[in-house]
Parts: sequence; C-alpha cells; structure tokens
Amino acid sequence: MDTILSTMFYFWILLFVVFFLIQRGLWIFNDVAKGTASFMLEKALGPGADLVEGRPGSGARSWIIQGMLWLIFASMFTFTSMWLTHDPNALHSLASWGYYANADELASAGVYATLYGSVSMFVIGSGFHIIPKLAGTELASETNANLVSFIWTLSVLTLVIGSQNNSILGIDIIPLGVILNTVALIAVIMNQLLTVANRTRNMAIPGWLILIALLSNPIVSFVSIASGAANDNVGQWLTYHLFGGTFFFAGVAGVALYSSSIASGNPLWSKTLVGVTLFGSIFTINPFGDINGQMVMDAFGPLAENNIVSFTNQDMLSASFLMALVSIPVLAFASNMLVTMRGSGMFVDDPNASGNAELNLGSWLIIPLAIGSLFIQTDTVSGTNELIGIANTLSVMAGWLVLVPLSLGAALSIYPELVGRHLFSQSRARWGFWMMTGGAMFGLSITMVADFIDLALIESFVEDPSALSEELRTVGSVMFYGVVIGSILHSLNMVSGMFRGEIISKKSVTSSSISVDSYSLVSPTTVRRILASGADLDTEVIPTGENDEKGSATKL
Amino acid sequence: MSINTIDSADGFLQGEKEPSGSWVFIILGLVISLSFLVLYSILYPGQDLPVISDLMPVFSGVFDSGIWFFILGTMIGIFSILGRLLLEATSE
Repeated sequence: MDTILSTMFYFWILLFVVFFLIQRGLWIFNDVAKGTASFMLEKALGPGADLVEGRPGSGARSWIIQGMLWLIFASMFTFTSMWLTHDPNALHSLASWGYYANADELASAGVYATLYGSVSMFVIGSGFHIIPKLAGTELASETNANLVSFIWTLSVLTLVIGSQNNSILGIDIIPLGVILNTVALIAVIMNQLLTVANRTRNMAIPGWLILIALLSNPIVSFVSIASGAANDNVGQWLTYHLFGGTFFFAGVAGVALYSSSIASGNPLWSKTLVGVTLFGSIFTINPFGDINGQMVMDAFGPLAENNIVSFTNQDMLSASFLMALVSIPVLAFASNMLVTMRGSGMFVDDPNASGNAELNLGSWLIIPLAIGSLFIQTDTVSGTNELIGIANTLSVMAGWLVLVPLSLGAALSIYPELVGRHLFSQSRARWGFWMMTGGAMFGLSITMVADFIDLALIESFVEDPSALSEELRTVGSVMFYGVVIGSILHSLNMVSGMFRGEIISKKSVTSSSISVDSYSLVSPTTVRRILASGADLDTEVIPTGENDEKGSATKL
Repeated sequence: MSINTIDSADGFLQGEKEPSGSWVFIILGLVISLSFLVLYSILYPGQDLPVISDLMPVFSGVFDSGIWFFILGTMIGIFSILGRLLLEATSE
C-alpha cells in the first residue's frame, strides 16, 4: 500500500475507535476516568488554578480576546513579509539589534500567528461556549480553560520566535513550541470530553465537528510519526493537509455553522449537509495551504526525517482523487451557511448580528479558493509545478479570506453572550470588516497579479525582474495594511465593549419562541427580523410583552 | 443608518441623513490615493517617496524605508488597545 492511502487508513481507524469510545464510554472505568480527568483539570493545577477566574464563559472569553490580539500580530507579520518581498532591506536598521528581518521567515511567523494564534484560539474559545450549550451542560472546568489559554499563547509565541531563529542555545525552538501546544491541546480535549460525558441531550453535529477537529490533531500527529509518514516529503505533505482538513476546516466549519444560526436567528438549514461536512473533512484531503510539508518537518523536529521522494503513481492517483472529493464537504458547508443566513438582511449595523458579515464572506469565498487550491495542489502532486509561483499567495488568501473571516465571525457572534454586552460600536465593527476584507482581497489579488507576471517572465526565460511586478507588489502590501487596521479596530471594539458596550437586554428577540405558525413577540423588533426568523405572511404574530399599566385588585 | 426623511423637489429625491455606507467609498478612495502615492516614482520620475528619515534627519539610517510609517501606525494601534484596557480597568 502507498503512503497516502495507508496513512489515511490508520487515521480513519484510530479516529473511529476514539469516536466509538466517546459514544460508548469506557465500561467500568467510566467513573474512574471522569474523576481522574476532573482532578487533573483543576486540583492537580495547585495554586496555578487560583491565578485565573472560573466564572461561566470566562474560559471562552479569554481564548477569544487573545486570539483577537494575535490577529494584529499575524496581519503585521504578513504585511511586513509582503513588503520585504519587494524591498528586502527595508528593516536593515534592526540589524543593529541583532535582528535580520527576512521575508520568508516573517511569512512563516505570520502563518503560525494566523493559524495557531488566531484561528485556533477562536475555534477553541468558541468551542468552549458551543459544546456545553449543545450538550446541555456546563463546561467541565472554566478555570482550566482560562489558564490553558495562556499556555497556548506562550506556545504560539515560541513558534513565532522559532520561525525567526529555530536554534537558540542548541535547543530547537519550534518543536519546543509544538510540545507546549500539545500539552495545552490535551488539556482542552480532556475538558471538552469531560463536558461531553456530562451531556444531558444528544449533541448537534456542529458540536461533533469541533470535537473531531480537536481530537484529530493528536491522532494525525501520532499516525504520521508511528506510520513513518513523517519521514519523507510525501508523508509530510499529507500530514500537513490532514491537519488542514480536520483540525482547521472541521473546527472552523463547526463554529461557523453554529454561529450562522446564532447570527441570523434562523434554524440551521440542513442536518444532512452538516453530516456531509463532517465526514467529508475526515475522508478527503483538504487542498488549502502550502504545497510542501515543511511545517510538519519543523514541528516534529527529531521525530521527522528529511527524505526526498517523489509521489508514486498510486500516491498521485489517490491524493488527486481524495482532493477532488473535497468539493463535496466544501459545497455542503458553504450552501448550508448561505441558506441558513438567507434573507436575514442583517449586516454589521445590527448589534444582534455581530459577525454575520464575516461569516457571509468566508462562506462565499471558500468555494473559489478551494477550487484554486485544488489546481495548485494537483499541479504539485503530479510534478508539473507550473503554478508553483502563485501557490504562496493563494495559501495566504485561504487563510485571510476563509479561515480568519469564518472563525472571527463565529467569535464575534458569540462574544456578546459571553461578556453580557454588545460590541462597543457597530460603526467600528463595520469599519473593521471593510478594512480587513478590502485589504485582504485587493492586497492579495494584486500580489497574485504580480506573481502571474513573474511566472510569465520565467516561462519566457527573461532574467531581469519586471518593474511593473515590483510596483504591484508594493501596492499589494500597502493595501494589505488594511487588514492590520481592521484587526486593531476589531480588538478595540471588543476590549471597549467588554466594559462599556450596551448591556444585552434579556428581552431580546432571540428569547422569543419562534415557529413557522406563530411568532411570540416579546420586544420591539423589525418586520425584516421577523421574516428572517422563518415567519411568512400567514404567520400569526402574538404580542406577549408585559405592560407597565397600573393594575387593580382581582375581583373574586 | 436608515434614511428617515426625504427631501422632494420636482421628482428629485434626496435623503437628508447620510448613509453610513458612503464612508466606505471615501475610505476606498483614500486607500487608492495612498497606493498611487506609493507609486510616487510614476508621478515624480527619479524621486522616491519621502520617508521618516527625510523629514527628521535625526532618524537617518534608521527609519529610512516607507515601511516604518506602517510599523509606527501599528504600534500606535497596539498601544491604544493597551491604554484602553488600562483606562477601562481603572475607571470602574
């Protein structure tokens, strides 16, 4: 059997075993396991647990706020790397401090900060809110969730430092960051598993998407190392894309699908499509991201080898086939999101619809970017390598126009419920959205045009660099700066909203009992919102609000 | 922001309140202008866009690239967030 199919086969089997154990429990060891996990999450932390608060929602809030702060650094690293691509000596003055800025290293720092700093923290933070809600219980340990967020941030910081200088005092920094990251992730998984073990009802599939995403991370790592896939470039490529498909795509899809309903007030359109998204994320290879598995080799450190082999015919066939199948979960996810948010007409101006615009953007753009990434990866797998010049920009696009908007949108939509207040300013939220969207879309599109120009020059054997390409890269990087400004605006909005945002009224429309036949109106609302909630012209609107008129004694 | 009142004269209609979305286009115009400024050499061939060290010679050899405008802008943003956190936390 070849590398691709054998590795994926082990992954599927192991994931199925874990899923089976979650569903059926550990037989007579259930109570022991629960007690031990509970002890490990809180009591075993000792005085460390007293450093943070354990109020309901504090864990999720801590993850989301830190993810938001990482977004600023992620966008800044990406912007700086784009700038240094056309002006390599722009930061030469930092050499006097011993720092030699390099475009590739800063791009790598940007990837770590984006994927692990922002997207992962949004997904895990939102998961801490969503899974207990869907399971009808409380989070097993808010204290642990809160404390672990700081360990995760420390791990991301280590990864970012490692991307600049991977060996300090003879210690490999990136594997050290990965170890910290794994410790934090295991604590997160234990917390969520314990929460799911205490569920009082069947958990909706978006919750399973998040849980499978979390579980798949250590499983993919174990399978990759144990099967030897981590030792050559083909296995590393596969491992990278398995992380992308399960941990990132499934996780982001889970929080986004939940939030699409929250942000729009509509019920999630199709359970079947959520199921297809779940199975598709496991059984296909996600094409988003790099064309090599360098990140996996860096992450596994001494556990991975640097063998260069070419894709065998069978590897090529199975990889191309499994990548082509990704259209199924991607279309299922996008259609479910867009139909769920249908007709809601609510944009960033509506305080009840925070994150709606970001969710819409990610749902639209995931389809063209998945198709584009599929072409790029197929080109690489087949060894043609004609599109290698635009691979990096497309990978960054997938990050900033799909993963970030979807995870950020989900975080924004549940944030008011976590802090009990709306975002500070809807106007600032709108600015943040447009700056981020415009910056990423125009900045990266223009950079891609420059990539195409360079590709054409290489194909024509022209050795001199194109002046037009250089100027387009300049414009692209300046436009991408909008993403940095957007991140700062969103952060400011969240921080200010935490203290001075409008307090969420308990009589919000989301507390109404909504059905197609009747709509219980408990607070003033717009006709648009009533229609968006599934009502039609025949729906009976029943006012159930209280009035302030003075009453009188009841006559008996 | 919705247009609550409408001024009508001979069939010509104009909202009296400014839609908030119009600012987006103004900003888009500003961004495009900024992009053209970056392409300074097109407007003024043979000359580069002034950088911080040109304006303040004390920073000569340090801030001698346009990227420093953007890095300083980000630093201001980050410090404004930190300042907001401190102010909000101490004001309660």
